[in-house]
Amino acid sequence: MQCSVLDTNIVYVSTSTLLETQGIVTSKEILSATYEVIKNIAVGVIDIVDPPRLGFQLTLKLHLDNIPRGKAAEAIKIITRISEIQAIILSSQLKEMLKRLNFQDDSQAINNNNRPIRIVYHPSEPFYVFRQAEKITAAFPMNFKDNSDVVIAMSFFQELVEVGSQKEMGKAPQCSWSPVPPFQLRGEPVHDLTTNAGFVSFDITSRHVEGKRLDKTVWNLLNFYAYVKYHIKRLNNTRFEEEAPQKENGACKYVKELVKVPKGKLMMQQRCKDMTRRVKISKFRIRINGCARFRFNQRWISIPKFSSKSSNKSYTKLD
Amino acid sequence: MFQANPLRLYLACIKNTLEAAMCLQNFPCQEVERHNKPEVELKTSPELLLNPVLICRNEAEKCLIETSINSLRISLKVKQADELENILTKKFLRFLSMRAEAFQVLRRKPVQGYDISFLITNYHCEEMQKQKLINFIIQFMEAKKEISELKISVNTRGRLVATEFLKQFM
Repeated sequence: MQCSVLDTNIVYVSTSTLLETQGIVTSKEILSATYEVIKNIAVGVIDIVDPPRLGFQLTLKLHLDNIPRGKAAEAIKIITRISEIQAIILSSQLKEMLKRLNFQDDSQAINNNNRPIRIVYHPSEPFYVFRQAEKITAAFPMNFKDNSDVVIAMSFFQELVEVGSQKEMGKAPQCSWSPVPPFQLRGEPVHDLTTNAGFVSFDITSRHVEGKRLDKTVWNLLNFYAYVKYHIKRLNNTRFEEEAPQKENGACKYVKELVKVPKGKLMMQQRCKDMTRRVKISKFRIRINGCARFRFNQRWISIPKFSSKSSNKSYTKLD
Repeated sequence: MFQANPLRLYLACIKNTLEAAMCLQNFPCQEVERHNKPEVELKTSPELLLNPVLICRNEAEKCLIETSINSLRISLKVKQADELENILTKKFLRFLSMRAEAFQVLRRKPVQGYDISFLITNYHCEEMQKQKLINFIIQFMEAKKEISELKISVNTRGRLVATEFLKQFM
């Protein structure tokens, strides 16, 4: 993003969403249809700069003063749409790629050596798409920061594979998990293939890339990482917080029941304590100046024992 | 039925041991004047400590009961079959331990090697009924049920989420 002090109402935003195969860029061009979609996001606010800035696919000129200021909802809508531009570009590229791969013969695929195409939607979260016999496979290397997230994710992937193999889900893409990368990903950067939660793969058939289903397929593939992370975050945060008030109330009630000691016994104990305190006070020496010769011998009143327990036996401290 | 019997024997053994061990009396600290501390935590005076009792149901489940003249410490280790149960147990018991004030007899941090610990002093015995205290401790032995339920709910939620995700392709 670039802006100038001379004209604060103009901002230049440049973006780049390149599809790569083993480091070589395969798709750089943005379709004309995508350009039209971008222009129609906010007429008067967005201008496409031609040529784009060096190193970027697309540069937009944003006229911030044309964003309606009085209507907050509309302004937020426009800003949200502008923030989705990168997703729009990437999804259009992915759609074209899926269509192309779908119509590709197996022989063409072999000629192209079945090279996987690397797609990066979120930073440091690439996934790969490659052609196989009669299907397209999308492979997601899964990485998580916490060990607990890894364990929860593994149980989720297990459920995902089981649900995907059911008869009712016959029309959904076949889902599989493996701890090692698919062999088609040989040659890809090692840091992309280093994971702590394995690889999740979806087998996309021609059924999933035809007509309106193509949009859904592309959207689901691009947002798979976010979907999984949201599920794990919800599990981590909400499970115990929702039950917190109930558990605390239950605990307090139970502990209050434990505190119920018979009244008679409690009163007896309290009386004993008071008596012992009073006797201790009376036992202290009262010194009157000038009456030293009348000081009593040191004979203290013995305190009666109120405790029902047997008298303390004398003991010597062990070394 | 056959599986319930070993658990009942285990719980009965712990209950009997607690009934014998929970004979506490007030005892001022010998080290510091006018202080009263749970001797089972300090462990500075061996003559005030009784022999600790370790009750093992198996390698993964055990209960350690340490007694002293004025306090009693009970530590429990809950069985964890897999990594998911391990994480759920840790989170659940940590959740309870952080609210130790509400439980009064619960220790904030478990003894090393155990999942949860209780500290009962002579003051607790004076204010609370002994049998109910013991029943309260025994109730925690059944934390395994709670953790199994948590595991089922995690798997159920995962299944629902997976179903919803795959339905979007259809």
